[in-house]
Parts: sequence; C-alpha cells; structure tokens
Amino acid sequence: MSEEKTTREILKEKIPRKKRTPLYNSQALEGIRKEFDRWMNTVVREPDRKNWEVTPNTILGSEIPRKLLYTPLDNSDLDYNEDLGYSGEEPFTRGIHSNMYRGRVFTMRQLSSAGSPEQVNQRIKFLLEHGATGINLALDLATVQMFDSDEPEALGQVATVGVPIDCVEDMEAIFKDIPLDTAGVSIVTHYPRNTAIVFPMYLVMAERRGIPWDKLPGSVQNDFIMENLVRSAPEYIPPKDDFRVQCDNIEFLRKNVPQWNYVTLNGYNLREWGTSGITEMAVALANGIEILKEMMGRGYDVDWVAERLAFFWAPANDFFEEVARLRAVRRLWYKITKYRFDAKNPRSMWSRCHVQTSGVSLFREEPMNNVIRSAYHALAAVLGGVQSLHVDSFDEAYSVPSAEASLLSLRTQQIIQAETQVTQVVDPLAGSFYVEALTNEIEEKILDEIDEIERMGGLVEVVASGWLHTKISRNIQREQKAIADGDIKVVGVNYFRAPDVKLPDVLVHEYDEKIAKAMRDKLARLRQRRDNEKASNTLNALKETCKRGGNVMAACIECARADVTEGEMRRAFVEAFGLWKSPIFV
Amino acid sequence: MAEEKKTKVLLAQFPLESHSRGIITVAGMLRDAGMEVVLMGDAVPEQIVGVAVQEDADVVGISTYCGGEVALGSKLMKVAEKRGIKDHTVFLIGGIFPPKNAPKLKKIGFSGVFLTATKEEIVSTIKSALASKRLSSVA
Repeated sequence: MSEEKTTREILKEKIPRKKRTPLYNSQALEGIRKEFDRWMNTVVREPDRKNWEVTPNTILGSEIPRKLLYTPLDNSDLDYNEDLGYSGEEPFTRGIHSNMYRGRVFTMRQLSSAGSPEQVNQRIKFLLEHGATGINLALDLATVQMFDSDEPEALGQVATVGVPIDCVEDMEAIFKDIPLDTAGVSIVTHYPRNTAIVFPMYLVMAERRGIPWDKLPGSVQNDFIMENLVRSAPEYIPPKDDFRVQCDNIEFLRKNVPQWNYVTLNGYNLREWGTSGITEMAVALANGIEILKEMMGRGYDVDWVAERLAFFWAPANDFFEEVARLRAVRRLWYKITKYRFDAKNPRSMWSRCHVQTSGVSLFREEPMNNVIRSAYHALAAVLGGVQSLHVDSFDEAYSVPSAEASLLSLRTQQIIQAETQVTQVVDPLAGSFYVEALTNEIEEKILDEIDEIERMGGLVEVVASGWLHTKISRNIQREQKAIADGDIKVVGVNYFRAPDVKLPDVLVHEYDEKIAKAMRDKLARLRQRRDNEKASNTLNALKETCKRGGNVMAACIECARADVTEGEMRRAFVEAFGLWKSPIFV
Repeated sequence: MAEEKKTKVLLAQFPLESHSRGIITVAGMLRDAGMEVVLMGDAVPEQIVGVAVQEDADVVGISTYCGGEVALGSKLMKVAEKRGIKDHTVFLIGGIFPPKNAPKLKKIGFSGVFLTATKEEIVSTIKSALASKRLSSVA
C-alpha cells in the first residue's frame, strides 16, 4: 500500500468547500417529490415499478443501472455555475472551447489503411481530396512491434494492417508531396519505444525537406499501457523502463516540437481489448497523473507539460453513457490538473481528445449494419464534444478498410457535420435530468477506479504485477459468454439472426509478397550505402543513454540521421533494459 | 480403465500479432469445456512447436490477424513434422484473414480453420479431430 495520498484524498482536501447554490429550490423539490410519489404509486404499472432500474447489457458497457425515468430529484443539489458553467470555462463540462464546433468543426481523421509506403501516400491524398482534415497513419505490425521488414518474425506480415516503416526513406515516400505544416499528422506509434524510434524518422524527414520542427502540428500515442498491457508482443521491456521512455519522449517533444501532442493517452485500445468505458478512462487518467508527477519531479512546470497532453477514447453502443462519459472526464481532468497539480493555464485543464468509434462492436454478419452502428457511435462522440474523429468502416470485422468503405466513413462524418445541424449548439444534452445524473455517476466511478489503482501502488505497479491483465482478461471472457448466451443482444448475430446467414463477399486486404520484397531490397541497399560506422556509433550512444540516463529520443534522432533502421534501434533498447515477461493471464 | 487424461491445448500467436482478445476468449471457452489450456503469447513457429513438445500438448491453436497465416502456418507444419508431432497433434487456426485462404490452411494440416466460431463448434472440432488422429495413429 502506498504512503502517498491518493488523488481522491487530495481533491477532497483541496477543492474549496463553497456554499452551493442549488438550481432547484427546496420548495420545488418537495413538490416534485410529492408528485413523483403519487405518479409512481398510481400511474406506473406494477411490473415497471418492480423493474424500475435495469442494468444495460452492451458490449464494453459500464453496467450502471438505469431508472425508467429521471427527474430533478436525481440531481437535486445541482449548482449550475459550479457543476456545468459555460463552454470554454471551468469546469469545462460543457466543452473546452466557448464556440465549440461553430469555431472549428471536429477534425476528420480517417486511418490511412494498409499497403506499401507509396500506396499509403496515395490513400492519404485520396482522403484529403475528399475533405479529410487530418492524417492518421496506421503502421503495420512489424513496425508497431519494432521489427524490420527483413527480420524472420516479419514473414508474411509486412504491409498487412498498416504501412511498413523501417527507416527515414519510408517516411519520405509516405509523405511525398503532402504538406507537413497544415493538416495535423497523427502517427499511431502506440508504444513509447516505438514512438522513440519511429517519430525521429518523421522529424529527420522534415529536416531533410527543410521544414522547421516548430512548424509541425500533429500527435503520437506514446503510451506504456499499450506496450505493457494491451498488446501482446514477442518481447517487452520492463514497465518502469518503458514509463521512463514515455516521459523522455514527452520531454524531448515539448522542448523541440512545441506544437506536437506528445502523448495521446490511449483509452481506445485498452477498452477495445475488453474493458468498460469507466476503466478505459480511469487507466488513461491514472497515466496522465503519473506523467505529471514524473515531469514535475524532473523540474518542469505543470502548465508547460500539461497543455499538450491529449486523450484517445472509444465511443461504443450505449449512446447516452458515451455522451455522459465525455462530459464527465472533462470535468474530472479539470479538477485533477487544477487542484492536484495547481495548473494555472486553462489549456492545461482541457481534456482534448481524438476518438475512434468502437471496432469490437462491429460484426461480420450483415456488415452493412455496421454503418448504422458506427454512425450512432460518431453522433454520440460529437454530442459529447470531441476534437477529432475516425469512424470505423463496415468491413472492420473483415479487413482494414477498402477505399470505398473508408470514404463512406468520411461521408458519415461530413453528414453529421453539414446536414444534421447538431454542431450548431454547444453541449446540447446538458440539462437533461438523465444525462446530468449519469455524468455525475460516471465521474465518481472513474475516480473510484483511479483510487483503487493508486492504493495498490500506482499504475506502473498494477501493470507490472499483472493485476490489470487479469482484471481485463476475465472481463473479456465474461463478455464473450454474455454474447453467446444472448444477454448482450447483437442484431443479425444473436438477435433476429437470419435463418441462413451467408457472409457477403467483402473486399479483403491481402498480403502482397512484392511489397515485402521491395522493402527487403530497400533495406539491403540502405545498409550498403549508409555510413555503417556512424550508424553503429549512434546505436552505441543510444544504448549508453538507456543505461546511464539522458534523453532516449535525443539519442534516437542521431540514429535516424545516420539511417539506422527500426529493428536495430529496438535491439539497442532490449540490450540496455533487458526483457520483461508479460504476466500470465488467469 | 484409467481416468481419461484432460485434453491439453497450447494457444499461441504468430510472432508479431498484437491482438490477444481472440485468444483470451478462446482460452476461456476451452477451459470451461474442461480442457487444460497453456497460453503462450507471441512466438515463432520453432518456439511454438518446442513448447508443444515440452508440454506434450494434444492441441495447438493459433490466433492470427495481422497476416502471415499461410507463410507462418506452412512453416509451423514443417517444423511440427520435423519434430515428429504433426501426426498426433491437432492444429487449429482462427482469426481474421482472407476467407479464400481457409482451404489452403486446411490443406496444409489445420484441422480447424475459424473466421468466427462458437465454443461448441471449436470443442466439437477438437474432439472429432483428436478421435480421428488417434484412430490413424493406432492404425
């Protein structure tokens, strides 16, 4: 058990106890209560009274029970200015910008799909030509796991679920003729180590094109939860070292690439792996707390660090819960930054986020149903006030999206933006008795789970011990049973399943050996033409930095300048830190 | 007659596979069905076969999503043959891959090839494949 005070304890101590000004006066509440009791006892039918609260069963849902009807009694001490306020102002429940989407519509950031660097360059251009406003670069799994395209582990997998990047030359091909200083570029680097290795290749590419780093807008993920918890991998470095790499990256990017979002705390993949929206947010916030503690420990000002911290969420099926979650997390992150870390700059208190609609909520059977599901997920995200959006495609359960499917996802966003008019009014569901009650309850539950993690010694510790692995893998198995038993209904799958389900012919992305060979040949040429002594010196310097301290990303920049490959850098990290065994699932 | 030995299943992913939701789900299903499950994580075919030999596994199940099912699947079968376990071990593969690769995977030696499957389908595939392997190894 940790000696340190938990976030909950600190907030309890430091949030000033002001006299609240309830929106509903006691006389009104009394009248409402009286009428409620009368209605309940005389109008509401017996079975409805008995089942007043039901627990919603949805994929990745919170299982927070819902009443049949909500009234002011469910939020009787609501203090408007304190709890909700105005958009662009504390406590940011209603949104981080005063004019929200009237000022700037959410960034439409569809993932760039799979293929060779040249093919992905074409897909990015295709999406931008059709109105996408952000770039979202997905990496193939060899690149995510930090293996070169010519390593034996990469056999048959190069360029299958994203783009392969082995060296700076690949970055040059991906971004050929694409401006780097206008549309923000999100590079889905996932892991801290992967960020430390791949992002310098982007920076060196920009350098070779003569674009100063302070002109570059965009984001990386850089989340040790991804590396040590969510993903399985052939090798891991210990969580504490990975957390250090995460913070080294933050330090380097804050100093040298000031417009870059140095971390996108990835609730998305954690939730999609198999946890509720509450745990999704609790873990990401707990990581944010650890980051701010560490960076302040390194001597930096909280406002300098926090203003570029961003989140990544997974809106799924339970529509109002998703809206409430986004509102709740904005208010909670504000309280944490302001009262736990004494942030002064409002920007530091914003929980800015990118979201991707839920992929595990999509199914193979009757795949066009997925178009409808994703559109509801996206609508919830927009009503919840997100900054950036990727809408999953109907072919999600088959493959990375085809160009056609990708365009339909972009069109979904554009229809929400231009046709539904939901973007005209800020935080339109505020004041709903239901949504406000749910927002309060979710905020409380996220804080409960942060407290639980902190009482066990903090996030790095509950990852290292395997506690989170076990919690989530049990949830995955429980949820699968709930779907198999029909407790969670999936239309066309276990609910109103067609008598003779035929899977349609969906265009599936296939492995292309020609691309893999081109990548291997390119690596062979690179190792011939580069200055190999220089490459090996920078790698030795990287190992030393890992072992003795200093900033690892700064060392990786030198490697990238010397055309060191991704796999070579990975091995340097492993040699320096040693391997960690992911805790076995129970 | 001696008490029947629990069916032992080794579950693994090909080396760069980062998605484990599927294999964790299947591990739970098989454990519920009374089998002994060893969850191995990401590994190259040589390592997977090595553990299968060491654990004396009756069944080896592979989860795949990121490609490589044919290339690595073929390699797995070659190594299994070399180490002498191919004939008496049941091999299964499941995940997301082009449906047209399913017949190829069956042909190279996977008794069960699943794009989606219920617990009952997986368990019955294992039982019938084990029975036919035992028959043929007796014969």
